[in-house]
Amino acid sequence: MAHELTEEEYKSQVAGVWKATIWLTVITIIEVGIALVWYYNFEDKLPRIMLNILMIVASILKAFFIVGEFMHLKYEKRALALSILVPLVLFIWGIIAFLIEGDHIRTLRDIFGGG
Amino acid sequence: MASNSVADKIDWKGGNPPFQAKYGKLMMWYFLVSDAFTFTSFLVAYGMIRFSSDYWPDPNNVFNAFPFLEGVKVPLGFVSLMTFILILSSVFVVRAVQEGHRNNKNGVLLWLGLGILGGIAFLGCQAWEWSHMHHEGLWFDSNSLMIDSETGETYYPHDLEHAAAGIGNLVKAPVSFTNLFFFITGFHGLHVFSGIILNIIAWVNTAKGTYQRKKDYGMIEKMGLYWHFVDLVWVFVFLCFYLL
Repeated sequence: MAHELTEEEYKSQVAGVWKATIWLTVITIIEVGIALVWYYNFEDKLPRIMLNILMIVASILKAFFIVGEFMHLKYEKRALALSILVPLVLFIWGIIAFLIEGDHIRTLRDIFGGG
Repeated sequence: MASNSVADKIDWKGGNPPFQAKYGKLMMWYFLVSDAFTFTSFLVAYGMIRFSSDYWPDPNNVFNAFPFLEGVKVPLGFVSLMTFILILSSVFVVRAVQEGHRNNKNGVLLWLGLGILGGIAFLGCQAWEWSHMHHEGLWFDSNSLMIDSETGETYYPHDLEHAAAGIGNLVKAPVSFTNLFFFITGFHGLHVFSGIILNIIAWVNTAKGTYQRKKDYGMIEKMGLYWHFVDLVWVFVFLCFYLL
């Protein structure tokens, strides 16, 4: 941090940030555009899961730009990045387990009634 | 920076610094990991409750109001604007961090100042959205939305006055929706709010020349990490509440 950047390093970093900005903006516009096109045209014609998968992929792509470029994780030591990213693998288990559990609760409610 | 070879700038006491990162920055990262677990727990709870509900409001019908456009329906318009404001604010703060690496005090003041304004604008938008929904009868433990059980189309009470024909069997939307919405966006808004306060403190310190004297703008970098994290969380809040 005390180390002085050369003019070229500085310029390439600034360019990288603006590039990431454009990506984030474009992805967000595409997400909202597709959500609206879907809502007005395909709501009853295509399975909703297709739209959802697309949205999740787009969001993960946005996360990649924010964490990699803005938070500078791409340029840190690999071990530092791993020590942050590996614990997040637990999320995959959490999401799958709790969504299945939620679906199961709904089935039980439909069978036995109540809340 | 990885190429930092000056041992006296590094404040770890036991020899080599782990990952060649300064203590404060590393601890900020691990704090953010723990905060990511908190937010994920909330969003997973949201997913579980949504999966356990028979009906859920359609975001295209719920989030369709825009300031100064009474009666016009703009699905997802306003929240897209909010998202864009937060992304821009995050970009401004990255620029502040970069200027900090060059020891450019005025650059830091400019970009960090813009970042703070972006954060305030985001909170203002959220305040408008909350108060709009509150006026429509949505709040903690109250949900005035009605859902068409056939099509999933969702209506505010005043929508029903106009469009009575062609509406199928209506069911009440679950209060879990409003509880989760106000709790999770509120918790995110609290993060934005505390981020603004901390950024203002960093801005004042910059203006006073505290970091210039030390030739170390590490504090801007740490605040930047927190600020981008808030932006990152919004990506997933936006996904769960507005897109899915």
